[in-house]
Amino acid sequence: MLTRDEWERYDRQIMIRGFGPEGQERLKGARVFVAGAGGLGSPVATYLTAAGVGVIRIVDHDSVELSNLNRQVLHWEGDIGKRKVNSATEKLRKLNREVKIEAIEEMITEANVSQLVAGFDLIVDAMDNMPTRYLLNKVAIEKTIPLFHGVVHGFEGRAMTIIPGETACLWCVYRGAIPEEKFPVIGVTPAVIGCIQATEVIKYIVGIGQLLTNKLLVYDGLNMKFTEFRLKKNPNCQHCGEPARSKK
Amino acid sequence: MSVRINLPPTLHSFTNNQAVVEVNGSTVGECLNELVRQFPRIKPMLFDKKGRLLNYVDIYVNYESAYPEELAKPVKDRDELYITLIIAGG
Repeated sequence: MLTRDEWERYDRQIMIRGFGPEGQERLKGARVFVAGAGGLGSPVATYLTAAGVGVIRIVDHDSVELSNLNRQVLHWEGDIGKRKVNSATEKLRKLNREVKIEAIEEMITEANVSQLVAGFDLIVDAMDNMPTRYLLNKVAIEKTIPLFHGVVHGFEGRAMTIIPGETACLWCVYRGAIPEEKFPVIGVTPAVIGCIQATEVIKYIVGIGQLLTNKLLVYDGLNMKFTEFRLKKNPNCQHCGEPARSKK
Repeated sequence: MSVRINLPPTLHSFTNNQAVVEVNGSTVGECLNELVRQFPRIKPMLFDKKGRLLNYVDIYVNYESAYPEELAKPVKDRDELYITLIIAGG
């Protein structure tokens, strides 16, 4: 049941056709796991908090540095040296005190990932490296939790949505490890991709629109082009295909 | 068979700033070889020393993923081939 304040706060989104108070109730009841409080995590967590998602768990093990501030907009000059999860939580609580923000200062590893995501309805991949993304992909498939993938580099970005058991996953198109690097990026790129991820999350929870499933959306900010590529589930995928099922 | 190869911005500096290169070939592999023949400097951006596609190179034909066995994938006249590079930042 929405309170009077909630009706007022969310009035403009409740007005959207297909959204209504039922959609707002679904957001209020949702528990979203956000992996990373950096460039992508900042817009994802901000817009999910503004939209009124019930519980958001943010996990990150880094501290705020000056070189983060060109893109990680939840962190400000006065936050340098603070843990990112604490810096992010302070802002998000000021934005919407009704949303329960859980800050967990930990590195996501194979040993803890299952426990970290336990009890959550959705996982948002706002990481900055592929090995952790693949851990999230694997646990999402194992626990049947939808995964919302985003990634950036320079003025380029990508997004896709994975519904375990139904659609192509990150590992379906995996060819092997790629070199780790200090990547170039301008803040507007994770802003665009993070907002696409948050849009996908909101649509999934509310149950409206078409998702980026079996699709890879590639954003080219320099030429202001979005290209959508079609993906297929790989029957031989180590995470969601026959090899994974036969291991069980 | 004429195929258009669409390149990501990161690779434009290897093709004289061309975003699209026309090549001839009947498979993805033949098309990429023709691309390398026209622009030899692009080769190490796409292939390892054994001639295998690098892990971060992603190929689509007419917007559809060519993975796996991309190089053997047949193409026909006027097909659009897209090269994208897998990225990892957040």
